[in-house]
Amino acid sequence: METLRRIVGDRHVLTRSSELLVYENDALPGYHKRPSLVVLPGTADEVVAVVRALYAAGLQWVARGAGTGLSGGALADDVVLLGLHRLKKIISVDPIARLAVVEPGVVNANLTKAATPFGLHYAPDPSSQTACTIGGNVAENAGGPHCLKYGVTLNHVQAATVVLPDGEIVKLAVPADHEAALDLMGAFVGSEGCFGVALDVTVRLTPNPEGIRTMLADFSSMDDAARATSAIIAAGILPAALELMDQATIAAVEASVYAAGYPTDCAAVLLVEVDGPECGLDDDAAAIAALCRECGARDVRTARDATDRARLWQGRKKAFGAMGRVASHLAVQDAVVPRTRLAPILARIAEIGTRHGVHVCNVFHAGDGNLHPNVPYNADDPDENARVHSAMKEIMELCIAEGGTISGEHGVGFDKLPYMEKLFPGDSLDAMCRLRDAFDPLRRANPGKVVPSHACREWISAPGFGS
Amino acid sequence: MDLGAGVRVMSTVLTPSTTDELASIVRESVAAHRSLAVRGVGSWSLALARASAAATPLSMAKMSGIVEYVPGDLTLTARAGTTLVEIEAATRANGQWCPLLPWGTDDGTLGATFATATTGPFRAALGAPRDIAIGVEFVDGTGAIARGGGRVVKNVAGFDLTRLMVGSWGTLGVITEISMRLRALPAVDSTLVVQCDVEDPAVLARIDAFRRGPYVPLACECIGAAHAMTLGLGEARLLVRVGGNAAFVAESVRRLGELGTVEAHAPELWAHYRERDPYRRHFTDAYATPLAARVKRKFDPHGILNPNVLGEVTS
Repeated sequence: METLRRIVGDRHVLTRSSELLVYENDALPGYHKRPSLVVLPGTADEVVAVVRALYAAGLQWVARGAGTGLSGGALADDVVLLGLHRLKKIISVDPIARLAVVEPGVVNANLTKAATPFGLHYAPDPSSQTACTIGGNVAENAGGPHCLKYGVTLNHVQAATVVLPDGEIVKLAVPADHEAALDLMGAFVGSEGCFGVALDVTVRLTPNPEGIRTMLADFSSMDDAARATSAIIAAGILPAALELMDQATIAAVEASVYAAGYPTDCAAVLLVEVDGPECGLDDDAAAIAALCRECGARDVRTARDATDRARLWQGRKKAFGAMGRVASHLAVQDAVVPRTRLAPILARIAEIGTRHGVHVCNVFHAGDGNLHPNVPYNADDPDENARVHSAMKEIMELCIAEGGTISGEHGVGFDKLPYMEKLFPGDSLDAMCRLRDAFDPLRRANPGKVVPSHACREWISAPGFGS
Repeated sequence: MDLGAGVRVMSTVLTPSTTDELASIVRESVAAHRSLAVRGVGSWSLALARASAAATPLSMAKMSGIVEYVPGDLTLTARAGTTLVEIEAATRANGQWCPLLPWGTDDGTLGATFATATTGPFRAALGAPRDIAIGVEFVDGTGAIARGGGRVVKNVAGFDLTRLMVGSWGTLGVITEISMRLRALPAVDSTLVVQCDVEDPAVLARIDAFRRGPYVPLACECIGAAHAMTLGLGEARLLVRVGGNAAFVAESVRRLGELGTVEAHAPELWAHYRERDPYRRHFTDAYATPLAARVKRKFDPHGILNPNVLGEVTS
């Protein structure tokens, strides 16, 4: 600890329980783990020195950005927590190459703010974008509503300087088209803090679209809204975003300070956005409105101006927050299913909710088939707690059985660990462990996350396992 | 058998037809200290030339066929030996297309395209193999069968074995099956040849301005005089493909008209154009760093997969 204090200064090593309390959880309610201590380096050199000191001391650690994760990925159970939010320098913005180099603690929305004078933005837009960091986004391969058209974090990260858990510094980059080389950059994105810490990240910036049309279609059944989603995608129009909110979500949003003027008497709304050059944009918008009406939409309205558009989006982006008003806790899920199976799966989810007596609120990226069936509940009521967890388990098993996956953008972390063996056969999990072991042979970084350790054969047979 | 200088006896080509058979071949190869040179239809002459001559050819040609294709999901899963021609035919019948369109001919395989991460003239608009792949099944250098990703378009469950396999040139595992995204064909799809001097820097600056948007084309390629001649296009030309609704395409054509006379061509022009890869692949010593060497040892500990193609573990 003295070594750590020497590296970052007394002020940036936290050990008192009142200080550690802040770092006990991420944005997923229901889990609390206390770190042994928190160290907050302020420069890349300090990060490297801290990682090397921890390596020399034989200590495990967990990296953390803004703590907005939704899978318990940044929980540190009696190990060192390495907070990176002080590294918030935007190192460079190159408007010609459309690239930016940033430190890991830069807040997602601040990067877009820095790119705005050049008519550019950073495309991945998780709903927590005003708080979450680029480092955290890289670790989780974060998504967001506009990833339907623009791609997830993986598609926007070009290069990174990474300190591996043994203190070695490596440069990773997406191979150029003419280069025959491994894509270890691609393997690093989404590694949930298990492969090392990014000291800087080079990301692509995207030109702002010339025009945007945002539409709200309301439906009297979930089934119709799901069918409209498939119809739009099948028509060959690629919306910038295609989001679905059900009645329960609309009610929560409209009762909150984030009220967006969604009709409260409908079963579901679709928020559809198309963007691009002006010529042709109105035709795409008209085609989408027509498809929604054909699928049974009662009304389709287009945002009048930027203020109206921001209001329609606010309800969507703050929907998780609005659910916080309903109950003290919120169970958050993040499954992805084949788009064509949306309607029957949503019907089954409703049935599962009713049977367990829980209140499922669906708000999700319909265009990608990325579901967020969330349940506001009171975790202090043991009966309700048990019912919520049984319902969630059943929903996840349904999504796996339908050919889907257990996480589209939040990561596995700690929360979804039990589903990994249902999703992947044993050799696949073992292969994942081997990839991790190449980056972190001694498993110092983010222990116990992503892949259940008993699924890793080499690890089990290694001397000292379990000690 | 000595057939004299310069003649090499071709060893038998191994041709598994199932993933289990392939896994057995790999396990037997480990036991027999035999290395394998993985190939699709064998059109990557450069890779074949780099592969150690002592390695036994392993052809994936028999492991072909589409496994699952749900047009409404815009996803397709196929075995590695499936040719691009087959994928193209199946998707086109549903108004969709495979966004790979790599340099080379379409009798190449899906597995080789992903394993070599070969891009093409549509890369900027439609993505590279790393952006298009959503899941992979492979057999590693110990004969273990593993899967990464899945069949849905968005997936962060587990460490990313898909990105590890794409572009690893068969040196970490033999890809047996790939799941990928497809695209719906645009309502209007126009292939245009613009008569302009693409060797004039002033013209190039205007072409660059067009390419950078807002009317982003599917492809925008400057062709030198010699190449244009072989395509039957006369002198140096700009070859463009624009896709979208009618209004978008009309405005794109109007803007291109400011660069020179625009002629419409059949989309088949692209197949001819793609035959000639403008890039000479630059092979790096991929396993020269300690990190990459550890990755290699974890997936191909005996060094039997495509030895030498991406260099060897030295440290």
